[in-house]
Amino acid sequence: MPNSIERVLQAALAAPFYFGQILIQKTSTGGFVLSHRDDEGRNDLQTFRSTEDAIDIAKYDDAGNYRPLKTAPNLRRGWRLELATLAELKCALDYFYSGRLDVFVAWKSGQLHTTPLRQTLDRQSGMYRIAAKISDEQADRVVGDFCRSDGGCLRTILWKRDTRGTVSSTKLPSEKFDPDFDQAAARAPSSACAEATADKTTAATIPLLCQEACNLLIAECRKVVKGE
Amino acid sequence: MTSDDSALLIVAHGSTVNPASSAPTLAHTTEIRRRKVFADVGCAFWKEEPSLRDALFLFDSQSVREVYVVPNFISEGYFTQTVVPRELGLKGRTTKRSDGQIWKYCEPVGNHPLMTDLLLRRAHQIAAGIPESETSLLIVAHGTDLNENSAAAAKREAEKIRSLGKYAAVLNVYMEEPPLVSDWRKLTKTRNVVVVPFFISDGLHSYEDIPALLGIANQLSARLRSAGRHTARQANSSHAARGEIFRHNPYAIDNRSLSYAPSIGTDPGVADIIIEQAANFDAES
Ligand code: SF4
Repeated sequence: MPNSIERVLQAALAAPFYFGQILIQKTSTGGFVLSHRDDEGRNDLQTFRSTEDAIDIAKYDDAGNYRPLKTAPNLRRGWRLELATLAELKCALDYFYSGRLDVFVAWKSGQLHTTPLRQTLDRQSGMYRIAAKISDEQADRVVGDFCRSDGGCLRTILWKRDTRGTVSSTKLPSEKFDPDFDQAAARAPSSACAEATADKTTAATIPLLCQEACNLLIAECRKVVKGE
Repeated sequence: MTSDDSALLIVAHGSTVNPASSAPTLAHTTEIRRRKVFADVGCAFWKEEPSLRDALFLFDSQSVREVYVVPNFISEGYFTQTVVPRELGLKGRTTKRSDGQIWKYCEPVGNHPLMTDLLLRRAHQIAAGIPESETSLLIVAHGTDLNENSAAAAKREAEKIRSLGKYAAVLNVYMEEPPLVSDWRKLTKTRNVVVVPFFISDGLHSYEDIPALLGIANQLSARLRSAGRHTARQANSSHAARGEIFRHNPYAIDNRSLSYAPSIGTDPGVADIIIEQAANFDAES
């Protein structure tokens, strides 16, 4: 019996779809082909066939730098991953964007809890405890800068700044909080955005959801508080 | 523990700068998944994705009744006692979630008695054919550290191996406090020396710092240069990335023969220990 993630994938696979920067297509023989969405139509891609290849593809960006945040918009290009089964597809997507399918399924079934930034900050201990001292204005700026889809992170933010429901950052466009919006199509500044969306596909997307501030953002808040 | 409704969650530190940090945990996860001992196997990290907080959503409460959480850490300490329970919302050894799912917090990998066998096996493998009775075994730990228990765990292992009387000598050495790794020549009397880092993963310490302290880093660069394979800079940076340092054992240095192993946590045998730690949870309760 397919589990809930496989059911979500099966439904999405009615047509090619995007998951972050990845384009997923079904082949005529029942397999799957994954590639970078900006490589669509290229025929000079290096072909890989094992789910574990996804770990290596996701590890470094095009310049060879380690990618500490897998949902940053810097997935490397030039590859094509061919997989035979739905289970392999699920596994590979989990290597590319770890945990994101699980979180999406939890969200769809109404089981996802989100945690306000202030609560995440207040929970920290050790060297990160000091991060909780960040002011609202500073937090507004850091989140606006660090999490932005054009150059920061492709997740859709579901958490608020505090328990009163304050928006996580006024510096981010409202689409950043909309799971229906394709974050990878966001381009700065606005004119490029219009072009990018116009000539690009209308493929469906499974959003990369952010239910709680990540450790990298907390580290960034700490830096701001320490004036680094 | 039944395989059809139990899941395994391996939790580890991970790193924002070093891809080698999470590699062993990912490999053990894949291996255990392949063995189909559990209905589902996942891993989560403090500094990488999926995060410890993401782990709360990894196991479907409809199909998974129990989640065994095994920390892939060398000892108890700040992470196993403070960070992991807090991030996962664990309230002790056993935690019942609101959806009825039960999370069982197991002992860290490094606490398992099989670690001693793993150390022995690794030491034997990297110095194949060299008689143990004429060899000093050095077990490297950090020393001054956020987590003072890792040094205690390394001491316990050295003690156990010493008591077997196999090696001429078994010593604990540290990177940051005496007895120092860099003093290995003075500390050992045998011609053969085997060095095993008692760490959960490889990284700068095992690729660069310890080789530099042992005096084998320069030797490797010189060897690669003379073989025409690399320039000096390339040799230094690329061998680090690929763990080249482990592929040239034994090193001949000052009339000694020195063999240097990757961190103990990279051994595939750790996968068995992880499964054992989950099984032990029920045996002990
Ligand atoms: S907090 Fe969420 S949106 Fe911001 S960078 Fe981290 S993962 Fe991305």
